[in-house]
Amino acid sequence: MNGRAVPIACALALFALGALYWLGPLKPASEYRSDQFLMDTLVSIKVYGDDPENLKAAVHKAYAEMRRISDLADAFPKPGTAEAKASDVCRINAQAGKAPVRVDDDILAMLATAQKYGALSEGAFDVTVGPLMDLWGFGGENPRLPAAGRVKAALALVGSKDLVLNQQDHTAFLRKPGMKIDLGAVAKGYATEKALQVLKDHGIEKALIDAGGNIRVLGRNTRSAPWKIGIKDPRKSDAIVAVLQLEDASAVTSADYYRGFEAGGKRYHHILDPRTGYPAGHHMSVTVVTRDAGLADILSTIFFVLTPEKALELADDMPGVELILISADGRIRHTRELRGKIQVQPGAGYHYDQG
Amino acid sequence: MTRGDKFLLAALVCFSLLSAGVLWGRFFLPAGETKELQAVVTVRGEVVRSIPLSTDAKSSFVVEGRIGPSTIEVDGGRVRMLEADCAGGICLKQGWIARPGQSVVCIPGEILIRIEGAAPLDAVTR
Repeated sequence: MNGRAVPIACALALFALGALYWLGPLKPASEYRSDQFLMDTLVSIKVYGDDPENLKAAVHKAYAEMRRISDLADAFPKPGTAEAKASDVCRINAQAGKAPVRVDDDILAMLATAQKYGALSEGAFDVTVGPLMDLWGFGGENPRLPAAGRVKAALALVGSKDLVLNQQDHTAFLRKPGMKIDLGAVAKGYATEKALQVLKDHGIEKALIDAGGNIRVLGRNTRSAPWKIGIKDPRKSDAIVAVLQLEDASAVTSADYYRGFEAGGKRYHHILDPRTGYPAGHHMSVTVVTRDAGLADILSTIFFVLTPEKALELADDMPGVELILISADGRIRHTRELRGKIQVQPGAGYHYDQG
Repeated sequence: MTRGDKFLLAALVCFSLLSAGVLWGRFFLPAGETKELQAVVTVRGEVVRSIPLSTDAKSSFVVEGRIGPSTIEVDGGRVRMLEADCAGGICLKQGWIARPGQSVVCIPGEILIRIEGAAPLDAVTR
């Protein structure tokens, strides 16, 4: 036998074992997954790590945090609850035109962000859209087409300039009686980001939160690759139009295929343009990719309401914000920075415009 | 080539194959890929049933949702919501599902049917 063979084989074996040992921890030992219904949707959380007990505890605390935000932001008082126990948003609405209301810091933070981006969008988004949402009935079971005169009347009660926030006193105040806060485009994303923070505080480095299609990922997936997130085909159930590769990012979609109804042969969906009082009509769907899920939630609504050109222009001006949109004519466009992070697979009826 | 060289070569080949196998297992097999496909039913966040989706499996069963009973049907490797009490019936319209990552969701009843296994996508934004 060759005298050198044994030492060389031994050295190689040791090297390989060392490599396996070093590479081993990249794939965490356990996964924990839970699916809970909250905020009127299904919220699935998947986490990966080495300590199963810690994973479980972290996920349950993350859900508790989302429930807390949801309870603060809920605009509909739960049957049987006393006024004093009503949510912060209910109390602000009940005191509209009367007095400022002391609220939780999370509510103040959501309202301040909403107000800031509402101004930035020049009114394409407004957190005081409540009277319009009520008029159309999008919060309830039976949405309907309202009379034009009533839309005009409700529009007079929409406007964030009459929302007064006081950070020192922790209060919020709506100046006109009848005004109403609606955190529908804000709370889910904000709560998702808070939940992710809870997971991080537990030392978790690999996680996916799917809050009714609002996605937030941390780290890389189980194959140690960027998470692969599909964008739903807005016209075909169970099909996708693109795949995103994401690490430590959110992907939130606003689309015309939810909570809609038909009247007089025309379809109406739930994302209203607060400047006109009617559903925005420029897009089938828009998807925002940015780190913070709360910001992604607000921006997806803003970009949905704006024209494709204005939406792409605004997204280009915002560092760390990417946008994919499918306009009503079937054109698929996205911001340039997404090149390399997106594979568009346009089905029939779409046209991919790489710009 | 001496006998020793041949031995070394054979040892290296065996070792490489072994290492490749271990690495493949560690990196590329997501949790659950080795298992056969199964449909998992949760009600209000609790797993109430796991059904292996073999091609000859055929059954239907009732789960008690938040607003009443719903019937789930399993047939030839696919599963669907067959009957439900909810007003919208959205879960019924979702039809059959058969691929990993697909799901049927009933929000009023808080019922989820999902198919577990290695899915090509980690999630879908919608």
